[in-house]
Amino acid sequence: MALPNQQTVDYPSFKLVIVGDGGTGKTTFVKRHLTGEFEKKYEPTIGVEVHPLDFFTNCGKIRFYCWDTAGQEKFGGLRDGYYIHGNCAIIMFDVTARLTYKNVPTWHRDLCRVCENIPIVLCGNKVDVKNRQVKAKQVTFHRKKNLQYYEISAKSNYNFEKPFLYLARKLAGDPNLHFVETPALAPPEVPIDLVAQAQHEAELAAAASQPLPDDDDDAFE
Amino acid sequence: MDDVEKAILISFEESGAIDSALKSQAVSFCQQIKETPTVCRICIEKLCFCNIVQVQFWCLQTLHEVIRVKYAMLSLEEKDFIRKSVFSMCCFDLIDDKNNNAVRILEGGPAFIKNKLAQLFVTLVYFEYPLIWSSVFVDFLPHLRKGAVVIDMFCRILNALDDELISLDYPRTPEEMGVAGRVKDAIRQQCIAQIVNVWYEIVSMYRNSDLDLCSNVLESMRRYISWIDIGLIVNDAFIPLLFQMILVGGGSEQLQGAATGCVLAVVSKRMDHQSKLAILQNLQINRVFGLVTGDIDSELVSKVAALITGYAAENCEVDTTFSIVQFLSCYVATMKSLSPLREKQLHHVGRMLEVICAQIRYDPIYRDNLDMLDKIGREEEDTMVEYRKDLFVLLQRNVEEVEASLSLLYALGESLSDEAIKTGSGLLSELVPTLVSTRFQCHSNRLVALVYLDTITRYIKFVQEHTEYVPMVLTAFLDERGIHHPNFHVRRRASYLFMRVVKLLKAKLVPFIESILQSLQDTVARFTSLNHTSNDFSGSEDGSHIFEAIGLLIGMEDIPPEKQSDYLSSLLTPLCHQVETLLINANALSPEESPVKIANIQQVIMAINALSKGFSERLVTASRPAIGVMFKKTLDVLLQILVVFPKIEPLRNKVTSFIHRMVDTLGASVFPFLPKALGQLLAESEPKEMVGFLVLLNQLICKFSTSVHDIVEEVFPAIAGRIFSLIPTEPFPSGHGTNSEEIRELQELQKTCYTFFHVITTHDLSSVFLSPKSRDYLDKMMQLLLQSACHHEDILVRKACVQIFIRLIKDWCTRPDVEAKVPGFRSFIIDGFATNCCFYSALDKSFEFHDANTLILFGEIVLAQKVMYEKFGDGFLHFVTNCFTTAHCPQDVAAQYCQKLKGNDMKVLRSFYQSLIENLRLRQQQNGNLVFR
Repeated sequence: MALPNQQTVDYPSFKLVIVGDGGTGKTTFVKRHLTGEFEKKYEPTIGVEVHPLDFFTNCGKIRFYCWDTAGQEKFGGLRDGYYIHGNCAIIMFDVTARLTYKNVPTWHRDLCRVCENIPIVLCGNKVDVKNRQVKAKQVTFHRKKNLQYYEISAKSNYNFEKPFLYLARKLAGDPNLHFVETPALAPPEVPIDLVAQAQHEAELAAAASQPLPDDDDDAFE
Repeated sequence: MDDVEKAILISFEESGAIDSALKSQAVSFCQQIKETPTVCRICIEKLCFCNIVQVQFWCLQTLHEVIRVKYAMLSLEEKDFIRKSVFSMCCFDLIDDKNNNAVRILEGGPAFIKNKLAQLFVTLVYFEYPLIWSSVFVDFLPHLRKGAVVIDMFCRILNALDDELISLDYPRTPEEMGVAGRVKDAIRQQCIAQIVNVWYEIVSMYRNSDLDLCSNVLESMRRYISWIDIGLIVNDAFIPLLFQMILVGGGSEQLQGAATGCVLAVVSKRMDHQSKLAILQNLQINRVFGLVTGDIDSELVSKVAALITGYAAENCEVDTTFSIVQFLSCYVATMKSLSPLREKQLHHVGRMLEVICAQIRYDPIYRDNLDMLDKIGREEEDTMVEYRKDLFVLLQRNVEEVEASLSLLYALGESLSDEAIKTGSGLLSELVPTLVSTRFQCHSNRLVALVYLDTITRYIKFVQEHTEYVPMVLTAFLDERGIHHPNFHVRRRASYLFMRVVKLLKAKLVPFIESILQSLQDTVARFTSLNHTSNDFSGSEDGSHIFEAIGLLIGMEDIPPEKQSDYLSSLLTPLCHQVETLLINANALSPEESPVKIANIQQVIMAINALSKGFSERLVTASRPAIGVMFKKTLDVLLQILVVFPKIEPLRNKVTSFIHRMVDTLGASVFPFLPKALGQLLAESEPKEMVGFLVLLNQLICKFSTSVHDIVEEVFPAIAGRIFSLIPTEPFPSGHGTNSEEIRELQELQKTCYTFFHVITTHDLSSVFLSPKSRDYLDKMMQLLLQSACHHEDILVRKACVQIFIRLIKDWCTRPDVEAKVPGFRSFIIDGFATNCCFYSALDKSFEFHDANTLILFGEIVLAQKVMYEKFGDGFLHFVTNCFTTAHCPQDVAAQYCQKLKGNDMKVLRSFYQSLIENLRLRQQQNGNLVFR
């Protein structure tokens, strides 16, 4: 879809909307890409910040205009107005803060009101933190709504590319599309415990074969 | 474009192309407009005339915000204006129909504008329905006639109402929950019937022309099914329509999926169990199974799969079994046509089975109640039995259903206590009689017949206590449901189970023996009649279970002696006659006939063998000697087989096992037969047969001890000669290529041989070794035993050898000052056994004190020393001291050990010796100066 008010480049570009509660790491995530710089200090995003991120695929270069939206309502600006003409989206929550996962359905609803039928990735961020509050197996929302889910750690670059790759494949309609060059990422800030993370991923896979709970809240009581 | 529109456009601009000063100016201008008192009018006016989507969106968003945040502060007039305007927009009416430039935002507008409008509409509903704006839905419905655009908008409104207010998928404040309840109540009371009616009409009307629209309507409807009167959907109009959509869908997977979603919503609805059950049963969900066979990766298939899984889960929830079995059998039938199953299908089948398994299990929280069988326990048990009985009551036309039901009933038995089965607790007392008296049309089916018989057998303890059902059980086993079933596998299993049933019930079966034998006549005749062809003897149906059952029945002492003799001779006579005939004609047998005849004889021996199991030694030898005579005659006949066919191994094995049986049955009266039997068996025996022979001798010795002294003494020299010609004196070679069948047979023989020596010595028969003819082998035997006691790789063999020595020392060395019965034995024991086995073999580091078996061996070694001290006195102490000193054991330690040997505390002796050995090992390690032999 043509983006009426966006600078164009001569290769495919897509508007990627990133939503989620304040402090879940949306800005940090976007800024891991070389075009961005990691900010140690948390500064809430006002309204929206747009970051053009380029990726090199076997089908050529593509660009995601990442619309890093404000998670906190008081800094909202146009809020769901920013979603207009979004081609794809990432919903971010923080695995160390339950409330941010509880609010995922609301973000999803607001997103879908404006962008019907776009590919969406759910990202559980901060999986490098030892004391998780949202366990991998408690994450079930994506299964109800047919979204893709990834565990990520923006600070350690863990799974950074995964959401972009998934969205690129969906947008290109090519399940075999792949990145031919690793995007230049800022060096990891923290090491990630890959063994522990492998464990989480295994739990997630195991949970996928379980029936969906009637009410997600139960999982947290 | 006016300033407002410009400002809005600029505020949406994020390309970086706009000067930041201008941008912030635009943003604050927009903010100012939001704060003007007339903002609502401004927005509505823009919505009437401006077709820039950003402007439309901004206006709708602003209106939404104003209503949400400042509703209470708006004037009545303003609210009225907003309400009317929003309603007109949604109904595709022009707000200001006098102006020619007016736009309809529904017309060609993007979806997000319509959705935003729907959100705004719902916000008004939130504040005004039903108190202020009670007619909102009723007023809307007539506009649906305008067609697809308004219908589409109506769906969006209903979806928004669900998303923004009703759905439980989102976090809500208590206030929002209150409003949601109020709105739902009002809709249910006021207009839901009309709305559902409209849904039905739209879908019926557009099903051929606008599939997307129909899908949208069904998608909205799905959201409402959970809280509206289910009767509005589950009726003769809507359900057929939905299934039509699912199955045909007019070529639209989306429509099929949407209809599937509606049925799943029906299935998942929380409601009274009885009504729910009725609904589930009426759905005939199996109609959709066929859809799963399609492309497994499609969205539709996963929706249908979700429906099927949901259906199964719900069924379990409402505690019904009816539809589960029906459902499962259909599903399984569908899946069967689809082999091989795809991974996802397997996954679904697995999931369903899990659900069902969970359901037919007791809840563990009742475990204690069930154990104590208190009130709750009883109730729970009854409920479960009732539940599973439903499965059973189902027994109808379908093979798979019957099989499944029976399997469940069978499985139920596993969870019931013996006591519960005996007393027939719960509904068992109805179930079991029904079971045993039932004949299914599908009884010819192997699986059904098998599980049927197994199930009866499992509940046989109930019949044991309720003998009125005995005739029914017998009939079930004896007619075409069991032993006379057309299927061979069933017949064979039936024979086995019948035998087990007889074993348990035999005391109650006395009055029925005559009729049982009658029923079995044809089966028995296949073995007793001379003319039978041997086609049946494929080696698998040997008839031994039937004969065992008969033996159990006719072997009872409750049967009058005369009758008993009649019964037995009517069986034994023709069987023996068969053998005799075959033996007489043995020489005339052609090479083709021979294997058949041999198989034949085998069957006969096995039948006789099985038959004899029912006769106790007491009966045969004491109370009814006539019976004993019959078995002796039989034995005589069968031993003749060894004479005629000495080299046919299977026959030899069968006869050997019959001798085993007769040793048990005839007791000592079997003795006269033994010389001939043993002589025949020993002749030309290969290692394998030798093993069988030794096992028989071991049985004899264990049963009769010294009573068989003469017999054992008679055969021992021949056995010893044979053994020492077969077993190598050196240890078996190890390594590659040595694991041959031949070597394994020799190892087996060697092992049995140790047991044989062990059994002889422990049954007071060691004098057998000393008979003149055996003496020649004594030295070889002692060397073999010593060698094995020290070095055999099997610790248990070593232990047995040590025990043999202990026994021999006790038997052959009477007093310290008297030379042993066997010249040279004492010095052999001290120089050979005491030195090498008791001392050096334990000193070797391969002697592992952590190993339990080795510890037991060590205990025997210590005991052997104690026994040697007792028999040899100070001479032994002297030897011990010398021996220890040679091994660099400190003299005081050796002296202490001698003290302990004299004492009576075996435990102290044992632990002292262990620490002595361990210390010596340690020293040897440190100094490396200990010379080992």
